[in-house]
Amino acid sequence: MTDYLLSMILFTPLVGAVIALFMAGDKLKYARWVALVFSAIPLGLSLLLVATFDNNILGYQFLEQYTWIETSLLHMQYMLGVDGLSLIMVLLTTILVFLVVLFSWEEKERPNFFFALILGMQTGLLGVFMAIDYFMFFIFWEVALIPMYFLINLWGGPRRHYAAIKFFIYTHVASLVMLIGIFALAFQAASIEGWSQLSFAFTDISGVAFSSGFQVLVFGLLFFGFAVKMPVVPFHTWLPDAHVEAPTAGSVLLAGVMLKMGSYGIIRICLDVLPEGAVAWQIPMIIIALVAIVYGALACIAQRDLKKMVAFSSISHMGMVLLGIATLSDIGIAAGAFQMFAHGLITAVLFMVCGIVGHNVGTRQIPLLGGLAEKMPNYAAFMMFGFMASLGLPGLVGFVAEFNILAAFYNWGLAEGVAWVIVIGLASLLLTAGYYLWAMQRSIFGPVTDKVDVSKVHDVSVYEGVSLAVLCGLIALFGIFPALAWDFVFPVASGLAAVLGVI
Amino acid sequence: MNFVEFAWLIPLIPLAAFLFIGFFGDRTPEGGGYVAVGAAALAFILSALVGYEILSGTHGDYYYDSIPWLTISNGVVLNFGLYLDNLAVLMMMFASFISMLIFIYSIGYMHDQGDRKKRYYTKVSLFLTAMLGLVMASNFLQLFIFWEIVGLCSYLLIGFWGFRHPKGDKASLAAASAAKKAFLVTRMGDVALLAGLFVLLNAFSSLDFVTLFDPANIALVDKSTLALGSLLIFGGVIGKSAQFPLHDWLPDAMEGPTTVSALIHAATMVKAGVYLTARSFPIFVQSTDVMLFIAIIGGVTAFYAATMALNNMNIKRVLAYSTLSQLGFMILALGAGGYLIAMGVADGTPITGSKAFGYTAGVFHMMNHAFFKALLFLGAGSVIHAVGTEDMRQMGGLRKRMSVTSITMLIGTLSIAGIPVFAGFWSKDFVLEAVMVVAEGSGVAAAIFLLLYILALATAFMTAFYMFRLWYMTFGGEEGEASKHCHGESEKVMTYPLIVLSVFAALSGFLILFGFNQALTFNWAGPGSDFVIGGGGYGMMDVLEKIFTSPFAYLAIVVAVAGFYAAYRMYNFKDVDPGRFNKDGESAMYQLLQKRYFFPQFYDAIALKLTYPVALAVEQVDRKAVDGTVDGIANSLTGGSQMLRRIQNGFVQTYAAYVLGGLLLLFVAIYMIGYIGGL
Repeated sequence: MTDYLLSMILFTPLVGAVIALFMAGDKLKYARWVALVFSAIPLGLSLLLVATFDNNILGYQFLEQYTWIETSLLHMQYMLGVDGLSLIMVLLTTILVFLVVLFSWEEKERPNFFFALILGMQTGLLGVFMAIDYFMFFIFWEVALIPMYFLINLWGGPRRHYAAIKFFIYTHVASLVMLIGIFALAFQAASIEGWSQLSFAFTDISGVAFSSGFQVLVFGLLFFGFAVKMPVVPFHTWLPDAHVEAPTAGSVLLAGVMLKMGSYGIIRICLDVLPEGAVAWQIPMIIIALVAIVYGALACIAQRDLKKMVAFSSISHMGMVLLGIATLSDIGIAAGAFQMFAHGLITAVLFMVCGIVGHNVGTRQIPLLGGLAEKMPNYAAFMMFGFMASLGLPGLVGFVAEFNILAAFYNWGLAEGVAWVIVIGLASLLLTAGYYLWAMQRSIFGPVTDKVDVSKVHDVSVYEGVSLAVLCGLIALFGIFPALAWDFVFPVASGLAAVLGVI
Repeated sequence: MNFVEFAWLIPLIPLAAFLFIGFFGDRTPEGGGYVAVGAAALAFILSALVGYEILSGTHGDYYYDSIPWLTISNGVVLNFGLYLDNLAVLMMMFASFISMLIFIYSIGYMHDQGDRKKRYYTKVSLFLTAMLGLVMASNFLQLFIFWEIVGLCSYLLIGFWGFRHPKGDKASLAAASAAKKAFLVTRMGDVALLAGLFVLLNAFSSLDFVTLFDPANIALVDKSTLALGSLLIFGGVIGKSAQFPLHDWLPDAMEGPTTVSALIHAATMVKAGVYLTARSFPIFVQSTDVMLFIAIIGGVTAFYAATMALNNMNIKRVLAYSTLSQLGFMILALGAGGYLIAMGVADGTPITGSKAFGYTAGVFHMMNHAFFKALLFLGAGSVIHAVGTEDMRQMGGLRKRMSVTSITMLIGTLSIAGIPVFAGFWSKDFVLEAVMVVAEGSGVAAAIFLLLYILALATAFMTAFYMFRLWYMTFGGEEGEASKHCHGESEKVMTYPLIVLSVFAALSGFLILFGFNQALTFNWAGPGSDFVIGGGGYGMMDVLEKIFTSPFAYLAIVVAVAGFYAAYRMYNFKDVDPGRFNKDGESAMYQLLQKRYFFPQFYDAIALKLTYPVALAVEQVDRKAVDGTVDGIANSLTGGSQMLRRIQNGFVQTYAAYVLGGLLLLFVAIYMIGYIGGL
């Protein structure tokens, strides 16, 4: 059955989405059950995928390959496959979607549409991580975008229309630039290799020896497309707006998975196909990453809205991902990928926490909060756990990622004779601890706030509590046994670094 | 059967208690207090059994065992394991023993805290777990992991009353702020330590102690790299052990429950820094400059912190400053001893006998300090529990009402002040001796050490003065305002731990006479096979002879007695008015000490006047410049805001049509190119 495993994981949510749509009228209350079942199946299957994945084999596994469009000029294929890197991203996606469905269990407003969009988005997200054909990659990349647009636009906050359209246009423009890069790759490959048909398959294109000039140019195009998605400063402004307005489920998937599409693309496409371009772009990437890390952290300190603060923290932490990747070393790339996984889990907790306070207390403005530990003790515990995980507390998953990223960065700096640059990375750790602790000091400690009415505030609900607890458990599990995820990504990173190292 | 094979269980015992109390604490008596005590006791018993094996030399110099944790690069493996030597087992034993006594005491002290007791016992159990994990770690990364968890626990416990404080909202705010300050200030040191780890990892491709401490490996690494790594690691010590200039979190940390202060100051947290210094000795001693730096930091902290204790009226704060000062002593001793060893390493001469005593003095003082400081804090807690205030001006005359507390506190005071035969006397004398040995040399460094010796001597005087001042103000003289409401001696569950601790505070110094100095010796085979550093063959008579034939020992005693006498005249006999020396609290010096040399303001200025405005500026730039540009481009491309508003108003179809149209055009264009290109 493993022959079709990937397709089954990929399309089960889509089937679920269609079924959920039909749960209208008096069947409305079943929509969430449909969503739960159709997100549990991919989760179970992806666990099976992890269990049957052979970590000793380099390259893609569970391959599915069918011809899709065959003309005299085009040879387009339906191609799926996973390696260690895609594997953990697939796992992350299925885990988060399942938990998000559980978290949103009590969604009252048109739950059938709501859950259909979430499941539809899951197919898009999974497709990005499973596709090993550029054209399919691009299609899924766009497919993931549309449900998110509607989630923000229909279930969002007061400025949802502005935020949704901004999110859509901004990332879409970036996608188009990326598309140009992809076409350039395909055409150039065909021309170099003398193929009569255009092929978009990863496996065909990654072996082609592109000229250095071409690599540098196309790396720039693709990098721009991916960097907007991550996002990096200064192309990040769609993100805080989108997060502030998005419903919690949307924010969790946006920050938890969708941002990772960008960094995934950089590793999967830019580094793999354009190694010379990567080397040429190394310094700019490192500078961009450092700016994003520090800029994001500083912006966090200034935020009054808890959710906006968390949104900016994503920018800072995704900067860490880029920093790791940009070292072009095995530790750095593996740690960057690990940080994608870690940040996915952690940021899910953070956005859930922000969602709960906004929903239960009625405001997310930090200055209006206070003393929540007394009114909502379980909530305060989850918040503290999430914040501590995010600031890189050892024993939790984020630390493993940050430690290795910064270690790789130090190694790079030392080799380049600029070891002092590590100070910038370290300063960001201080800033990160600063904004989280300050936010906690003002929101959960101190006297109970009298600025908003908290007399009827209730603590975390069962569904919210269970999804948060599972996430916290995973954060601790992968923090204590990081090898569970690290050993999957390391061979991929090591293979890339081996190629990059000889340039 | 060897007990070390079960050593890995030691941190897991309090960890199990942490989990058990966390889930079921509210269903067990005293919010899980007995579980915490039982776990600490069990951890202590096992530590003692393991300790006996290690100290008796059954396993050679150390016991090492580890499993791979993470392969971060080809050939670079991070491990997780145990490294048990004399130092580690000493720490394990006194950390678990003192924690056990503090937990027992807490059952009385925290009794009326209701549903918060569970939270308290959960956190202190985790604290003990982290501390045991830290000292048993087999590599720097593992040590760092527990190091940070220790920091987390101190954050949680200092902020224990960060909400719903029994004394009201203002106290809640102060506790929350103090907790944040403790975490952030120590984290400044922690990031330095982290950088130190990067330096060592890069140089050794490993972080295991067995690899890093191997002279053959050390010889392969550049000396300046080692010095850089050492200084960065010591940065972590400065934060954790509250050394100048990252010391200011410790006085604020007094906002936590008094038992937590006892835990932080005696058994865990601040001791971790001293432990790390001692642990990293093989690397630190590669550079005399590093050791000189360490000694200076220690000496300055010792002196500087003691001055602030002189005129403080808060019983806990005085003890906090005294901890800072005593930690300074330990660091100073390690620095001085390490300096000599580093000189030996540099020119290949073995360092033995009393010259290698700095390390022993520092570690020995750390152990003695653990006993007398736990005693003093718990005694202070007993007083605060009885009179309901921390202000010593409202105390006084408690000698009669609280006889056990007053006597045990007196023993603690005698010990910390360095009055002969009490524990503090022996180790403090060693510290001074260790500094003097270096000062007797020649050159600039010797002059600096002479200065440090004078500072240390002055500190010894101040220590005796402020400690007897504390004792007289609390227990001596007339009854103060709060003393009149005192309900008498604390219950037995609180006084028994005091009695046990006072026995140790009085007598633990004698251990040094019974071969214990051998256990505390820095045994390390230096570069070159015949080069061994250690105190080999330094027995009881050697120690006694060294101390009682040295004029400096008598000088230290005289200074301590002088401090006592000054306090006696001012605060008991009261024929000397302390106000004479400071214009009744109006003098600039007095104010400077009260304001802690303006360090809190300095920290606040960095946070509020430097970082926060920068953050606000970034926020403005982000909104106005970066996002403004984006909106501007969007507006100009879509024909002005009119268009954008139309799109925003829901004309998504229009936009989607544009997108589709654009895509189609793109396809056509590409197809054309392909066609023309003849593909």
